Amino acid sequence: MKRLLALPILAALIVSACGGTGSGGAQATGGAGTAPAAKAVRIGLVTDVGGLNDKSFNTLANLGRQDAEKDLKVETKVTESKQQADYVPNLTSYAQQGYDLVISVGFLMTNSTWKVAKQFPNVKFAIVDGAPADDAGKTENLPNVANLFFAQQEAGYLVGVIAAEMAKAKVGKATNNTVCSMGGIPIPPVDTFIAGYQHALQTISPTTKILNGYSNDFVDQQKGKEVGLRHIDQGCDILFQVAGGSGLGYIQAAKEKGKYAIGVDADQADVAPGVVITSALKRVNKAVYDSIKAVKENTFKSGDTFFNAANEGIGLGKLDPVVPASAKAAADKALADIKSGAIKPKTDIAVK
Amino acid sequence: MTVDMVIGASVLAATLRLAAPILLAALGGVISERAGVVNIALEGSMLVGAFVGIVAAEQTDSIVIGVAAAIIAGTLLAGIHAIAAIHWRSDQIVSGMALNILALGLTSYLNFQLYGTTGTPADVPDLPTVADQSILVWVSLALVPLTHLFLFGTVSGLRLRAVGEHPRAAETVGIGVRRVRYAAVLASGALAGLGGAYLSLSVAHSFTDGMTAGRGFIGLAAVIFGKWSPIGALVAALLFGYGNALSTSLQGATIGDTRVPVQLLGTLPYLLTILAVAGFVGRSRPPAADGVPYEKEGH
Repeated sequence: MKRLLALPILAALIVSACGGTGSGGAQATGGAGTAPAAKAVRIGLVTDVGGLNDKSFNTLANLGRQDAEKDLKVETKVTESKQQADYVPNLTSYAQQGYDLVISVGFLMTNSTWKVAKQFPNVKFAIVDGAPADDAGKTENLPNVANLFFAQQEAGYLVGVIAAEMAKAKVGKATNNTVCSMGGIPIPPVDTFIAGYQHALQTISPTTKILNGYSNDFVDQQKGKEVGLRHIDQGCDILFQVAGGSGLGYIQAAKEKGKYAIGVDADQADVAPGVVITSALKRVNKAVYDSIKAVKENTFKSGDTFFNAANEGIGLGKLDPVVPASAKAAADKALADIKSGAIKPKTDIAVK
Repeated sequence: MTVDMVIGASVLAATLRLAAPILLAALGGVISERAGVVNIALEGSMLVGAFVGIVAAEQTDSIVIGVAAAIIAGTLLAGIHAIAAIHWRSDQIVSGMALNILALGLTSYLNFQLYGTTGTPADVPDLPTVADQSILVWVSLALVPLTHLFLFGTVSGLRLRAVGEHPRAAETVGIGVRRVRYAAVLASGALAGLGGAYLSLSVAHSFTDGMTAGRGFIGLAAVIFGKWSPIGALVAALLFGYGNALSTSLQGATIGDTRVPVQLLGTLPYLLTILAVAGFVGRSRPPAADGVPYEKEGH
């Protein structure tokens, strides 16, 4: 008899666990009983497995959704995906309810978006960092899907200018003329950041030694920290991370050993004040906001849209006081040159 | 490829850092399974410990309270597993998995509620280091002989093993099977909680969702690999740690003119394990009553 009691109680535990995170305190929706005549535009956002408080990608996408809800008077909702198998059901759920726009956050959802968008041709979709891809992985542009791409290499180039100027002039603790970076895994949205970074380093300070590594993970902080400690052993004193949660460990290594770090996606100055000298901003919030606005104003465009320096889609984060004015001036000039097309940051990694 | 990349001092130091949390979970697993209860909720205990440790340390500004709170949190989660597995005699794998999901959901949820998207504060107190390693690394190593002495050199240890091998025989000589099993499961949770404290307070100085990243499960693999002995668990944990250390230190290494791909290096710890288990460990036998709920006669 006692054994029989255990199962329902455990089931209740599981349900409460899933329910607790599924709603995540971030559910937001407008009035449900709107009159059909003045039907509000409804937007659904589906995060990838990183979750809403990953301090970068998904956090920013959600910020864009919240801003749009405030400014544009649209109804929005967000669903967190706990595993990759959740993507299709989460997207389908919004499409079935007739949402006007369903947003997928992240290149991991290219195939799920392709599947669901084909099934619901009258619903509009937007996907951050990718384009719909069929089961074989082949990209196919769909008339109801907007593909939102970022010029990560431009953001990488800007932080690369700061790092190069500091390494060249041996500013503060950056005395070894050695500059490093770490990606999560070698995939295009990660590697393009690093490619731009290295391009700036090689252009501005050719004598600077460059190292690059991977944590093979986007969550595990210890793996990121180990790569950081290894890099510091090899002389690195400026460390740029493109590895989500794992990258926070890379920053922690810099903090412990008294070196400098550079953040990614969001402005990560607060992660370790005095250590994070700047961040390579990728304004996913702007991409999400703009797509919602386009649907609201009936200017939705399917196919590729690029977010870059010219349209403020990428940028440079807050600068720590240790960064000299000359470095800031060089970064400002680089930004202007990228906007005008005088500098075209590379997308292929030079030092692997 | 150079010798320094394979057995340099920095590789060995990294091995210890990476082995410590796995070792703590594995020692917990050894104690629990020797008493006859499989505790796959070690991962959950570790995660809860990591979270509660950082919250307590940050709120009280005391690293001692932080570590103590992590141990208590890990113990409490294991307590739920103990009640399910021992009192209710439920399936130990189901209960353990449910608790792991609960731990992941609960810590992610509370992390978001407490710290929002900004994350844990940057000014968490530091754990002391000895010889350039966190004190908890040394604690984890010291626990190996202590656990060994306890299990194989004391009356309590003998009773614990008896309960895991043949609970009915133990009962007939007056050993309280349930009491011993409760104590063993709670101890395993405490050790996993300490492992969590090491990850959040010493390694990361912050908490991120799911940051234990399977170390509790790898700890359980180390239990089997180490043939349910503390010293075996140490060897296994060091091997995992070494594999992980190599996957970092060998980055950029070349064989001939070919670079070793980083994705391949990421599989190193697991390849090493499969090789070791297949080639060197030989037959390993779990305690006879491992994972089997105990019912007194006449019930």
